[in-house]
Amino acid sequence: MPNPLKPDRSVITTCAYCGVGCGFKAEMRAGKIVRMTPWKEGKANHGHSCIKGRFAYDYYNAPDRVRTPLIRASIDDPWTPVSWQEAFDYAASAFRRIQAKYGVKSLGAVSSSRCTNEEIFLVQKFARAVLGNNNIDNCARICHSPTQFGLTNTIGAGAASQHFDSILQADVIMVVGANPTEGHPVFGSLMKRRIRQGAKLIVIDPRKTETVESAHCKADVHLAIRPGTNVAILDSIAHVVVREKLYNEEFVRARCEVKEFENWKALVGSDKYTPEAIGPLAGVDPADIRKAARMYAGGPNSAIYYGLGVTEHSQGSTGVMCLGNLGLSCGMLGREGVGVNPLRGQGNVQGGSCLGSWPHVFSGYRFVTDYETRSSFEAEWGVPLDSEPGLRLPNMLDAAVAGSFKGMYIMGEDPVQSDPNQHHVIAAMKNMECVVLHDLFLNETSKYAHVFFPGSSSLEKDGTFTNAERRVSRVRKVIEPLAGYQDWEITVKFMNAMGYAVSYDNPGQVLDEIARLSPAYRGMSFALIDRIGSAQWPCDETAPEGTEILHRVKFPRANGLGAFMLTEYVPTAERTNDKYPLLLTTGRILSQYNVGTQTRRTPNSMWHPEDVLEINEQDAIARGVKDGDFVRVSSRFGQIELRAKISERVNPGIVYTTFHHAKSKSNAVTSDLSDWATNCPEYKVTAVDIVRAVMPVAEIPRAAEMPRVEEMETTE
Amino acid sequence: MSSSQTHSQGPDIPIMALDRLVAMANQIGDFFAPYPPERRAEGIRNHLRTYWDPRMREELLELIDADGSGLAPHVIEGAKLLREESHVKPGYYGPPKA
Repeated sequence: MPNPLKPDRSVITTCAYCGVGCGFKAEMRAGKIVRMTPWKEGKANHGHSCIKGRFAYDYYNAPDRVRTPLIRASIDDPWTPVSWQEAFDYAASAFRRIQAKYGVKSLGAVSSSRCTNEEIFLVQKFARAVLGNNNIDNCARICHSPTQFGLTNTIGAGAASQHFDSILQADVIMVVGANPTEGHPVFGSLMKRRIRQGAKLIVIDPRKTETVESAHCKADVHLAIRPGTNVAILDSIAHVVVREKLYNEEFVRARCEVKEFENWKALVGSDKYTPEAIGPLAGVDPADIRKAARMYAGGPNSAIYYGLGVTEHSQGSTGVMCLGNLGLSCGMLGREGVGVNPLRGQGNVQGGSCLGSWPHVFSGYRFVTDYETRSSFEAEWGVPLDSEPGLRLPNMLDAAVAGSFKGMYIMGEDPVQSDPNQHHVIAAMKNMECVVLHDLFLNETSKYAHVFFPGSSSLEKDGTFTNAERRVSRVRKVIEPLAGYQDWEITVKFMNAMGYAVSYDNPGQVLDEIARLSPAYRGMSFALIDRIGSAQWPCDETAPEGTEILHRVKFPRANGLGAFMLTEYVPTAERTNDKYPLLLTTGRILSQYNVGTQTRRTPNSMWHPEDVLEINEQDAIARGVKDGDFVRVSSRFGQIELRAKISERVNPGIVYTTFHHAKSKSNAVTSDLSDWATNCPEYKVTAVDIVRAVMPVAEIPRAAEMPRVEEMETTE
Repeated sequence: MSSSQTHSQGPDIPIMALDRLVAMANQIGDFFAPYPPERRAEGIRNHLRTYWDPRMREELLELIDADGSGLAPHVIEGAKLLREESHVKPGYYGPPKA
């Protein structure tokens, strides 16, 4: 008998899960995927992979994939399956009617970091050129928008300064608010390799994560801070650097604005940031703060890697600036083995940031308010463009609640599940007259949508992704789109139905347009990537095959100098009190991915059938909670029920959960507070209380959650 | 920077609830608080100018014209610069310059 797993064809493509962006060889037999094998030539992964990219691909063929466009007049009606053209015409006429009645700015669009660069760019074009406003945002808003803001203001580029391999030259690795062994496993393995070779490890995280201690990995210093005290602790580390004169004066004088450095020294060097003052506030030993500061400043090569534990706070942007300041002050930028590097959650968060899915900047981070930039886009797109910043996603939702915002086009996002303060999001959704949802599945948001465009998975389309190290890699079509069109084609056809004439033969032409309009992508093309495998931006005449390390000679700011920002610690308004005495924080697990839309539909769920609440024994005993009990978690915003797990990973006063399962509804309890600069939600700090919940045994879901088959209501 | 042409839905529907705007503006003020007075005011102004939809800025300025209640004094000072043409910096809307 012939081997049923023996492939007859293979295609090189890029994994769409986390921001590592591993290269994969998708192997097919008789038109079906039989295996995903890590690509040895992939420059991000060098032949390695994790159990998501390797095994969790079956979701594309899940029984509840929607294969026909759907429409309905009201969210109380059942869906009606229609032809593609009917769906485009229906959505276009609803959008035009809304704009005629409520004004040009009453609509907006949101794109996703699960989509390709080309698709993200086109959704931006849809908002700006077709809707005629700048109400365009993307899901980086709710994860890494503070990275763009904080890094741009300090080191000039809102992106990782290094390539992944640079970590193999690092002597000290500082991980802040990230858990790479679970969240970015292939990079996590590279980090462990360097640790085995003797690199020191500093971890700043409220929880004793797998990165703090697991096989081949043990932190030399773990600062288990209280959630919400990032800026205080980083300022205190900076305090030690300043007071003990551990900074690199030569680097600062040559590469930075010296006056700003002096201002910064005065602020963080003041007595309020001594480890003895901040230690008790943040719940850590002052001696450990000093140890971390000396270790980082001592290098000789120290590299910072950080995640959403830094950004998703009311001071998220300030926290990122602290890291930029720290890198500048110790001269840890501009060569191998150093740097300040965001670990991106989704496959294309960096691309989402680069390609203008923001209400205030076009692709390449250039302001809509700037006449020259705007003119270049107007010339290419043939229409006048709005010169004012538009609404950000949380602003759109606020405006919808207030009644001034009436509809949106959502590509590959599920705001009802993934955005904070779920009750508020649902109120906003219900207030809109036309929500056009473009996705693989009828997700939580679909309950409030009027038009559904069935999209294509990353296995069904062509394009590019930009990973967390700025690496642009090809996404290649492995199988035909299940619903007939690739996502970029759907957006183009929607633009056409709205009366905007544009056409592309293939997404390579969209990348060519991106290259014409975005300086850092000027040299990018399908041809280049097909030839050399992948390329890191900036890629232009001076760097025709891309750039591994940024900031070698100067920083991409007007004067070429790094700038220190004043990072005063401002405690979040979300406080514990007698009623809500515990702080809830969140994270991820290796086998699942974000809100789980994809991984929950695969056998990976066997490893993580449900989200659990980790609680310290002391807090559990005080509430009569035993390991495995169901508990009710309540905050000022709502309540959820989870199974409790007694854990030494969290300190007293802190509880922790993952957010991979829709049924857990973690965002029913999260607050509506957000970052001061970007409105990135404060997911990482919610004051809660826990009580033991009595639940009949029969209702307790024990079995692994099977692929969810949504009930698709039709009128047939 | 006039936003009058954007008020196509009538004057009685606010762009969003005023308390959200006040909280956001005060948070911006908190960040710029450690800067010296002139840079603090310009930082707040530039941030509002660069990142806020003009209707949000207008709603904030209307509140300031009324009584500015709930807003920190230095936020009011910075926001008022939005109305002074002398603070327009073509091509530059970033953080406060040294």
